Amino acid sequence: MTNLVPNIAYDYAELAKVSGIELPTPKTEAWKYTRLRDLLDCPYTLCTPSSATGPELPLKADVIHISNGRLVSALPQVAGAEITVIDHVEEKTHHPFAQMNALYLTQGLQITIRRKLSRPLVLNYHMSPNGENGFYHWRNIINCEKDSSAAIIEQFTYEGEVKSCYLANLVNDINIQAGASLQHYKYQNEAFKANHVALHEITIAADGKYESFCLQKGANIARNETEISLNGEGAEAVVNAAYMMNGWATLDTTTNVYHYQPHTKSSQLVKGVVGGTAKGVFQGRIHIAPNAVCTSGTQLHKAMVLSDDAEIDVKPELEIFADDVKCSHGAASGEIDKEQLFYMRSRGIGEEEAKTLLIDAYVTDVINHITDSSVREWFKSLI
Amino acid sequence: MAQPDIIDESGDKYKYGFITDIEADTAPAGLNADIIRLISQKKEEPEWLLEWRLKAFEFWQTMSEPHWAKLAYDKIDYQALHYYSAPKQKVAPKSLQEVDKSLLETYDKLGIPLKEQEALAGVVAVDAVFDSVSVATTYRAKLAEKGIIFCSISEAIKNHPDLVKKYLGSVVPYTDNFFACLNSAVFTDGSFVYIPKGVKSPMELSTYFRINAKNTGQFERTLIVAEDDSYVSYLEGCTAPQRDENQLHAAIVEIVVMNNAEVKYSTVQNWYPGDKDGKGGVYNFVTKRAACRGANSKISWTQVETGSAVTWKYPSCVLQGDNSVGEFYSVAITNNRQQADTGTKMIHIGKNTTSKIISKGISAGFSNQTYRGLVKVTPQADNARNYSQCDSLLIGANCGSHTVPYVENRNRNAVLEHEATTSKISDEQLFYCKQRGISEEEAVSLIVNGFCKDVMQHLPMEFAIEAAKLINISLEGSVG
Amino acid sequence: MNTPLLEIEDLCAEVCGKQIIKDFNLTINEGEVHAIMGPNGAGKSTLSYVLCGKPGYAVTSGSVRFKGKDLLAMSVEERAREGVFLIMQYPVEIPGVPTTTFLKHAVNAVRKHQGLPELDTMEFLKMVREEGRLLGIDNEMLKRPINVGFSGGEKKRMETLEMSILKPDFAILDEADSGLDIDALKVVAEGVNRLRDGKRSMLVITHYQRLLNYIVPDFVHVFADGHIVRSGNKDLALELEQNGYAEFVKEK
Repeated sequence: MTNLVPNIAYDYAELAKVSGIELPTPKTEAWKYTRLRDLLDCPYTLCTPSSATGPELPLKADVIHISNGRLVSALPQVAGAEITVIDHVEEKTHHPFAQMNALYLTQGLQITIRRKLSRPLVLNYHMSPNGENGFYHWRNIINCEKDSSAAIIEQFTYEGEVKSCYLANLVNDINIQAGASLQHYKYQNEAFKANHVALHEITIAADGKYESFCLQKGANIARNETEISLNGEGAEAVVNAAYMMNGWATLDTTTNVYHYQPHTKSSQLVKGVVGGTAKGVFQGRIHIAPNAVCTSGTQLHKAMVLSDDAEIDVKPELEIFADDVKCSHGAASGEIDKEQLFYMRSRGIGEEEAKTLLIDAYVTDVINHITDSSVREWFKSLI
Repeated sequence: MAQPDIIDESGDKYKYGFITDIEADTAPAGLNADIIRLISQKKEEPEWLLEWRLKAFEFWQTMSEPHWAKLAYDKIDYQALHYYSAPKQKVAPKSLQEVDKSLLETYDKLGIPLKEQEALAGVVAVDAVFDSVSVATTYRAKLAEKGIIFCSISEAIKNHPDLVKKYLGSVVPYTDNFFACLNSAVFTDGSFVYIPKGVKSPMELSTYFRINAKNTGQFERTLIVAEDDSYVSYLEGCTAPQRDENQLHAAIVEIVVMNNAEVKYSTVQNWYPGDKDGKGGVYNFVTKRAACRGANSKISWTQVETGSAVTWKYPSCVLQGDNSVGEFYSVAITNNRQQADTGTKMIHIGKNTTSKIISKGISAGFSNQTYRGLVKVTPQADNARNYSQCDSLLIGANCGSHTVPYVENRNRNAVLEHEATTSKISDEQLFYCKQRGISEEEAVSLIVNGFCKDVMQHLPMEFAIEAAKLINISLEGSVG
Repeated sequence: MNTPLLEIEDLCAEVCGKQIIKDFNLTINEGEVHAIMGPNGAGKSTLSYVLCGKPGYAVTSGSVRFKGKDLLAMSVEERAREGVFLIMQYPVEIPGVPTTTFLKHAVNAVRKHQGLPELDTMEFLKMVREEGRLLGIDNEMLKRPINVGFSGGEKKRMETLEMSILKPDFAILDEADSGLDIDALKVVAEGVNRLRDGKRSMLVITHYQRLLNYIVPDFVHVFADGHIVRSGNKDLALELEQNGYAEFVKEK
């Protein structure tokens, strides 16, 4: 880790440059639709510590509080898991934000799941900007040992000035060993001028299972990027997401699923609702390696556009090098269903209420895929 | 049961791989302003066109070759190519009888019954482009009665300079992309079609392109203008002889469609694909674009792509007029070491514009194929509609099939749907056919033709039959 | 009369490494109709696929002779051209391939094998339309892609039509009654019965006795645990209807 001087405003792009890291430019294909300019606009200082914590989740869980990118509570004793604090990591990929994350790591956790956990582990990230434009880099290294199973929930919230501009750069390195399973849920509701860049790098061994759902509601620019390698036969991944935004945000859901072995399976369902001048971005790639036969990969993105100035940019991609596969993708975008709206109004429901009901139903459709019922109910309460 | 064996000698079966032996008038290799002046001079062009070419050349020198497509090929040495080659003939032919006999034989081998057609009296008018210079245009008189202009672009520059000047580069400006820019600087011939107001072309217009000379780039340029309330169906067929070197083909097709007019543009592309090891073959970098300028105008692209070693081609529709319609129907087949990166762009600008994309890709052997498409809805394009379907079929374990659609929606009223699937020919289907006594090769051909049907049905009848045959030839030996 | 058409001896076969057919023996003479009945999951369909040579169904030992020739040495299409026809339980859909095109390819492949001249389009259409009419298949249906969007009943009628135009020496009916209402069942059974000419043989695979009221077999066999456990005449089917298969199914 390289030390940064507190209270100094760093130009993030400049910091990357002097560190030999190339941040994406408007010409970088993988960042084509996400306007990084806005993210790099203001200089950031390293977040000052805070002890404020985020709202509790309405579920029985082991909770770890992280505030302004630092741990603020004692680590809980979780039967079947081992959790330690880390302050440096090495980044193996060329992902520029992950490289920045490693080089200037604020703090992170090493989480080892040894067996089936009895209740979810919640990582409750909270931001209390105190008038500064702060940034933090957080990383979790999660190792799910053979045949273990766990649910990890990440929540991102803030307090104070709604117009706070800050940057959260997060990385999850997740390794799911043979027969293990991980349910990974995320709720992102950052301040509406804040920026949030998250990368989840997941490797899954034979018969391992990964199920994720991410709901994004906040931030100015938020990118939730998932990269999955299905490395063993029988490995399976479900990557679902929803986003809802009425302001000017860019909400980016990017997935890369690599099927490296035969008999692997992946599915993605992403639904978005954008209003105002918001922009929804979905980039999804299913890659099937040569000889990865008997695989199936599906991908569906649906978006609802509520205003004249909102925008949807979609790039679902199939990259297939094996013949015995079943892959499909679909993308649809359109406005709220007028027939449905009319039907509800003809039954006496007011237009705004009807719209709300329809939007709820639209997003709930994805939430219903969550296997854990208490998590499912919690997400329903958030929309 | 054994998996279909993909390694075979099918690359040597290119049916059109003969070379016509006629003297050609060829410019020295290389590209510079003098070569461009030479081309312009040989073609006795007006000054404005030479200036336009030189401007394009100047701009081209500031550009670099695009490499975003999923294509891997040897570096093209633009200075090693010849940019002008014309069959040598003392006097320009006045009728088919005067055309070099060996040339006509070539067309016969290609299956264009030029002579027959005059006898058959008016089904298709053919403008044959042979190494960039149009040698014979039939049925011109009959078309002229209706006011339709169908001639080589060189003739159009001479005889209809105002029309050419008005529309040339208006859909694809020379600044558009690297290959289009190169074409603008050096294009040698191509076709020109002008359909006046209210006229429906009484026959399908057809051009055959063929690359003959060694180391020759073919840079033809086609311009079609359909005035208000007009209609034309245009067919384009392409072949090239079998050569070890790679030949470069960088063409442009520009189409302008006015109020209530409709243009159907069908292509069967069968350039030499290289041999089974990927040696030789045509590099096909083509810019095709239609502007639906008028209200209620319609453009329909149908393509069957079986040839070329490398294909880079995205026939596009710019839907400017209200209620305009764009369609793209494509079958692309790659075998052996062929690579194709092809698709379309639908740009919705006018209100109530609709577009439809049906793309069927078949990859066999060691080939790689990418569907790349863009559907873009601008903020003012209220009620835009798009439906896209891209299906890919894989034959054999060593090929690749990729789908890269881009959807950019900036209008709340737009309804856009995209679907794509990738699969192999199902074992169940093969078993069913074989249980009824049908051989594997025949079964694959049946299933593949069935897979392509939604596209093939948009081709004019005689073209559809040829295309179906081509599909079978292209896939020969890709199965067991 | 007693000329053997199909002779199965000590046949063993497996699917995905699991043995399904064990020491199976059966001889079918020319003109005979045999019914094989058995509990669900006993491997009745496997037997039909093994006889047709479906990929993935591996014969591990035993022999099958058809008209004296080694059936197992033949490819799927050779068996079909020799005269083995399977009415499938779930006929597959082939998008874009018109039914008539498909049938014409099949008919001519078989005719070519038999040394007969190929039918031209007119002759072929005439024949298909006539046979189709008997089965309630109209011209519109013949133009549709083969099996695509067909109802269960339409699919089975199409299978029967294919059989009646390919005129095989030996037909296997794999659960030909599944998904059929009584009227459709009658149409299919009539179609099948029209082809019973004293020379053509059939193997009727079914779970229920119902179909055998319409296609009356000469022999009935009970299939369990990979082979025939009991044989009899058509009355055996009625007995099975009464008592079920319980006595034949071993505790696992």
